[in-house]
Amino acid sequence: MNKIKSFTHWLLLGLILFSSTSMADKKLINIAGWGGNDVVAVNKLLTTVIKSELDELNIEVRYFPVESDYGRYILNSLSAGNAPDAFYVNVDLIDSWVSTGQLKAFSDSFAANAQRMNPVLLDAFTVDNQLFGVPKDVNSLALQFNIDVFKDAKTPVPDENDTWLTLREKLVSVVEAIGDEGVLGTCLSADFAHFSPFALSTGWRPFNEEGKTVLDDNFKRAFNFYVSLVHDGLAIIPADIGQNWPGGCFGTENFAVVMEGQWLSGYLVDKSPNLLYQSTLIPADPKTGERGNMLFTVGWAINNNTANASDVEKVIALLTSDKAQRAILAAGLALPSSNTIVLPAAAEDSPSEQMAQTILTASTLDNVIPYKFGRYGKNWQTPIDVALTAAMLKQLTIEQALSEAQRKYDEMIMISTNKQQGEQ
Amino acid sequence: MSMKTLQRNFYGWLLVLPFVITLVVFFVFALIRTVKYSFTDYDLFSEANFVGINNYINLLTDELFLRATINTISFSLVVTIIQTMLALGLAVLLNSRIKAKSFFRTAFYVPSILSSASVTLIFIWIYQKNGFLNGFISQLSELSSYFVLGLFSLAVVQLVQIAHQRFIGLPTKFFDPLLALISMITTIIVIIIVSKLGLLETTTVKVAVNWLGSRDDFGPMPVTLWAITIQNIYTTVPTIMLLFLAGLQTIPHDLYEAADIDGANKWQQLFHITIPQLAPVTFVVITLGIIGTLQMFDQVALLGTSSPLESRITLAYYVYYQAFSDSGTPNIGASSAAALILGIITLCIVFLQNKFGVKEKS
Repeated sequence: MNKIKSFTHWLLLGLILFSSTSMADKKLINIAGWGGNDVVAVNKLLTTVIKSELDELNIEVRYFPVESDYGRYILNSLSAGNAPDAFYVNVDLIDSWVSTGQLKAFSDSFAANAQRMNPVLLDAFTVDNQLFGVPKDVNSLALQFNIDVFKDAKTPVPDENDTWLTLREKLVSVVEAIGDEGVLGTCLSADFAHFSPFALSTGWRPFNEEGKTVLDDNFKRAFNFYVSLVHDGLAIIPADIGQNWPGGCFGTENFAVVMEGQWLSGYLVDKSPNLLYQSTLIPADPKTGERGNMLFTVGWAINNNTANASDVEKVIALLTSDKAQRAILAAGLALPSSNTIVLPAAAEDSPSEQMAQTILTASTLDNVIPYKFGRYGKNWQTPIDVALTAAMLKQLTIEQALSEAQRKYDEMIMISTNKQQGEQ
Repeated sequence: MSMKTLQRNFYGWLLVLPFVITLVVFFVFALIRTVKYSFTDYDLFSEANFVGINNYINLLTDELFLRATINTISFSLVVTIIQTMLALGLAVLLNSRIKAKSFFRTAFYVPSILSSASVTLIFIWIYQKNGFLNGFISQLSELSSYFVLGLFSLAVVQLVQIAHQRFIGLPTKFFDPLLALISMITTIIVIIIVSKLGLLETTTVKVAVNWLGSRDDFGPMPVTLWAITIQNIYTTVPTIMLLFLAGLQTIPHDLYEAADIDGANKWQQLFHITIPQLAPVTFVVITLGIIGTLQMFDQVALLGTSSPLESRITLAYYVYYQAFSDSGTPNIGASSAAALILGIITLCIVFLQNKFGVKEKS
């Protein structure tokens, strides 16, 4: 009996020693990102897609998903000195986070290898000619339309030839035909991200050459059109029907069109699996004939205080490799940031694949800029958001709302300039 | 000092040591750091540079901060006054001789055990443009002609009955329960007849008040903050009611008996016995109410993007908003200055309440 006991003890000791030795041999890299779908996506990459490459490099990667308030978690852990070696960074935060000195620039060789990616995205993550983030995916906005609604209203569905005005005519036609059945034209969010395709298609840009935000006549034209859809009864805001976002409205199956990104497809699979819809490009400005859009992306960044910078680079290279992005694309979790990946032809009965094609096409058009606003971060869009809300709810006239927004921009830019001069 | 006293002191200190350590680390140390950072441009990462009183000057010129200050003080005063009065009223009612007292006590206390997140979600639903509240008001408005008719009929039938009773020499009170019941039944019959004959027209009224998305003010606060006020009162009144109930149990019954003998009515008993005797509880309730409402954060934060920031911001939320700004760069200096100002405002209001408001002793 004692012999068996002794053997068991030695066996256990041996196993512990063996496992700790094998663990010690492997370099451990901690990475962090969002919870939700990303947990499945990243762990799938680590455990199957790039596992052999990681084994060859003798690296073990641990993914720490952060379920909520991701930005606060990273800022706190960076300031406490216990942040992971690599982590997600939203494109709109890249300038601010680089300015804090917490991100490490990628090596020149890595940056050269990353040139296969969408140049607008790479440019968005480049600060002072150094690459600080590698886009893991890409997204932009497209126009999704409910096929049954247009069929019932005997109205032609939206297509790539539409301008703002022809889309408006189609919405009027739908609302006149079946509006009394509770069908509405569209659902518009009072925020710059959703409004931006219209503003950008006029040729307007968030910052002029002097770095100032000027809400000029082009911007006003787009603003007028967007707000008029609500005023004319062709659109409502999501809160009117208790939704948080336009996609939520579209999921009720009572809306003709909506403008959202690829994230909508996953939501609709769960919420409205029987909804027949398709996607097309957001209509062009009738005056310029151009389309506009913004690129939404998240990149992998390296903690400046990591002890394993070169290994972290290798891990990020694998996580953003074409092989990894193909696997993520095949799982329908995100669209690739790499230009070398060509999407297979969308199946006719797959609205999700068709949306992906449309969004990738939209992301390569002219007048497409990344969703970032320099040192102002997302604070920059607050005056426009406030103006949109006030104008849509008729709490201010369009002129008053824009005048108020312009005043806030002048103040914001003056304060920031004074602060910069003070720092110098 | 004798050995015994020393020993007793030692054990005393030993027992309070965990609390003292907690106080020193999480309050004194944190307070000193906050004061220090409020005079710097600290952003969690860079060197903290001394900027004098710039953070305080910037706050006083920041429209959002001024709005947050006005919102916070208004919110605190409105909520504290209403919740104290409501809780006192409920406690007095539940302390009286009513049937199913235990059931009502439990039912009234339920809102207090719900989490803030759940209550906020429920209220977001209630406050939607096509939500319960607007729907309820719309229904009331549509049936307003019936309400007017009902009230008129109720008053007339009751008056006729009272007049008849007094005519035959019976001393009857205006609110006699039996007569009121007869009046109510008669009124319902009148309404049904009028409705069946189609004598009254109902108008379609669509009330679409934007409770959460509005930038409008109503009185001292934005409409959105009024919505949060109702929500906050709903969740805090039950706890305060329990405190008052406990206080009511300690009032000697002899006082009420003596008052009865002296001919005091219920209102006189309430104002001259109950409220003065509850002074210690009222003092605690008001002081805690002021402190709690000045620090209002969770329900504001949970509303998220459902409403414009300036129509819901409070000082506590402003502190958070500066520390974890959407710009991506934490503004710890401004956040610390705002936190200190909030602390000073809290101390001042509590001091003023103690000095001029409800005293601990009646």
